[in-house]
Amino acid sequence: MTLYADSNFPVPKDLEAIHAKQLNQLAKPGSWGTGAQRLAIAAEARQAGIDAGMLEEPADKGTAPDITLPEVVCKVVHKLAVSPKDFLEDSYLEAKNGGLSNEEYIEIVGIVARTTNMDVFARGIGVSLQPLPAACAGEPSRIRPQAAIQEKAWVPTVPNSPDGGSDADTIYGGMHYTYIVRGLSLVPDELRMHVELEETQYLPLNKIMNPEYSHHEGFSRAHTEIVAARVSALNECFF
Amino acid sequence: MDPALDSGVPGGQELLRFATAIIGYDRIELDAARRDVAKAIGPAAVTAASAVAANFTKNDRIANGCGIPSEPMMLKATKDIRADLGLNEFRSAVNTFKHFPEFW
Repeated sequence: MTLYADSNFPVPKDLEAIHAKQLNQLAKPGSWGTGAQRLAIAAEARQAGIDAGMLEEPADKGTAPDITLPEVVCKVVHKLAVSPKDFLEDSYLEAKNGGLSNEEYIEIVGIVARTTNMDVFARGIGVSLQPLPAACAGEPSRIRPQAAIQEKAWVPTVPNSPDGGSDADTIYGGMHYTYIVRGLSLVPDELRMHVELEETQYLPLNKIMNPEYSHHEGFSRAHTEIVAARVSALNECFF
Repeated sequence: MDPALDSGVPGGQELLRFATAIIGYDRIELDAARRDVAKAIGPAAVTAASAVAANFTKNDRIANGCGIPSEPMMLKATKDIRADLGLNEFRSAVNTFKHFPEFW
């Protein structure tokens, strides 16, 4: 699958392959949502960005799942997609009180974040947003890490080793991670997809503390951090 | 982070403009900013800058959506720069300071 053949700028093959894989993965049953539900969330996030004027409408949107998302889901998706700086604890509590489980909520956060990631990348290089694939049949796995507990995030997270036990060993692979990685650990598949994008688009996690490391050829670490800091400042992300 | 300030990095001004435009509402401004990055640093820099900007649009949504705090090690190292840049005033900072008020 060639996603970015029409780009005027060179796109590394590994990045293109991971975006293709993740687009297809959105269409498959996840941990708590079906393929159709997950695609509907992705489509809703994208449409919110288009309606807000932050994304351009693609000629080919792909296959829209014929399902209606509950209002509580739409509220989370819209605010997180369009205005992450306004997403405060009351937004999370409203979702919880509206009937979403923590597990469902985390899967939604992961899908919105990854969809926005791929759409902003396409916009950046000046190509049309990728059409969404057709949903795959099947049921969610409903696998929840037993070690997940309430730490300092709103949602339960899997502690680092040794407190996180075998779940931490499996999910973190022996690494000690900060909350920006562990935030999604209640849904390990979302965490893995997040890390995969992180290591391809930003830099490998084990290189973060090395200021000399440059992940993108011809693009220094200083260049990288200028872009990262500016985006996070505009999104009012304290982290 | 103020685009008016000179970072001292060649191509830094162009990247600040691009990073602002890629998550903004003005497509014409984005097109111009993209051209300037390509001219200043090279065509591959447009892809790299887009990849990094996109990655942080993801991270910002994960951080603010999960209500995660920053770690004490990071807070200790950034006390002065947080104050200088006004980062403590971000609304999402409450997710950190409710656990670590001593680092305000």
